[in-house]
Amino acid sequence: MPRRRRPEIAVPTASMGDIAFLLTIFFMVCSNFAKESGIKWTEPHAPQLRVIKESKVSVSIDAEGQIYLQGQPIPDADSVESGVAALLQRRGDSDESLVMFKCDQAVDKEVFEPVIAAIARAGGVMVAVGEEHKAP
Amino acid sequence: MAWKRERRKRDTVVPTDSLSDVAFLLIIFFILTTSIRRLTGFQADIPSAERANQSQQMEKMPSLKLTGGNMTWNDQPVDANLLRAKLAELQLASRAESERVIVVEASGRVPYQQYFEALSAISGAGGVVGILSEERGARK
Repeated sequence: MPRRRRPEIAVPTASMGDIAFLLTIFFMVCSNFAKESGIKWTEPHAPQLRVIKESKVSVSIDAEGQIYLQGQPIPDADSVESGVAALLQRRGDSDESLVMFKCDQAVDKEVFEPVIAAIARAGGVMVAVGEEHKAP
Repeated sequence: MAWKRERRKRDTVVPTDSLSDVAFLLIIFFILTTSIRRLTGFQADIPSAERANQSQQMEKMPSLKLTGGNMTWNDQPVDANLLRAKLAELQLASRAESERVIVVEASGRVPYQQYFEALSAISGAGGVVGILSEERGARK
C-alpha cells in the first residue's frame, strides 16, 4: 500500500522583515523622545485645561526647586532668560515662541515666579503644563 | 602549455535571517519608549514689558492676591469657583488687550499649585496676566 506523503507546512516569513521595518519607521516618525525623563515633578491640577501642543523649548522646575532648560540643569532665572531668548532667536518663527513650562506643584513662588517673568522677558509665550482635574 | 585555472565565482549572499529579529527588537524599544499621553495645560498671556513703568497703571486694574492658600479678588476673599465667576462677569475676551490685564500678586509662601489654578482661571477667561512681584520688600 503506498504511503501518503504529508504536505509540508511552512509559514512564509520572507516579508516579515519588511513589515517589521515599516513598523519601526512608523514608530520613529511618530515618537517624541522625552527630553526631561529624569526630572521628578508632580503636576499641578486645575479644571478646564486644554490639550496643548508640545513646544520645542521647555523650562522645568523639579520638586527640589532645580531649574532645567531643555532638560539640562541651569543655575538661576537669569540663565532661563538668556537661554530661552537664544533658543527662540535660533528658531526665528513667531509660531514657535511657545515655551512649555513644567513645575512641581509644591515649589514656592520665590523659585517659579522669577522663572515665569524670565520667560516673558525673553519673548516667550508660556504654556503651563498640568493635569486636568474634573470637578465632582 | 599554459594552464588556465578556472576561478570559481563565490556566491555573495547577505545573511538576512536575523533581520526580522533586529527589527522586532527595535519595535519593542519604540513601543516601550513612546509616550502616547496628551499634554494638557493653558497658554498664559504674560506681557514682557518692564513692570517698573506699569506699576502705577496696575493700581487701577483688577487684582488677584495670593497669600498662602487664600485668594482675594479686589481685596474680597474668593475661592476658585467664585474667582471664575468674577472673571466671567468681566467678559475679558471681548475687551481690548490693555483692558484685559489682571494683576496677580503673590505674597508669603505660595505654592505653584495655587498659582497654576489662578493663572488657568485668568487665561481661560481670556485675561492677560500682569505679575506684580515683591523684591526686597518693595514693589517692582
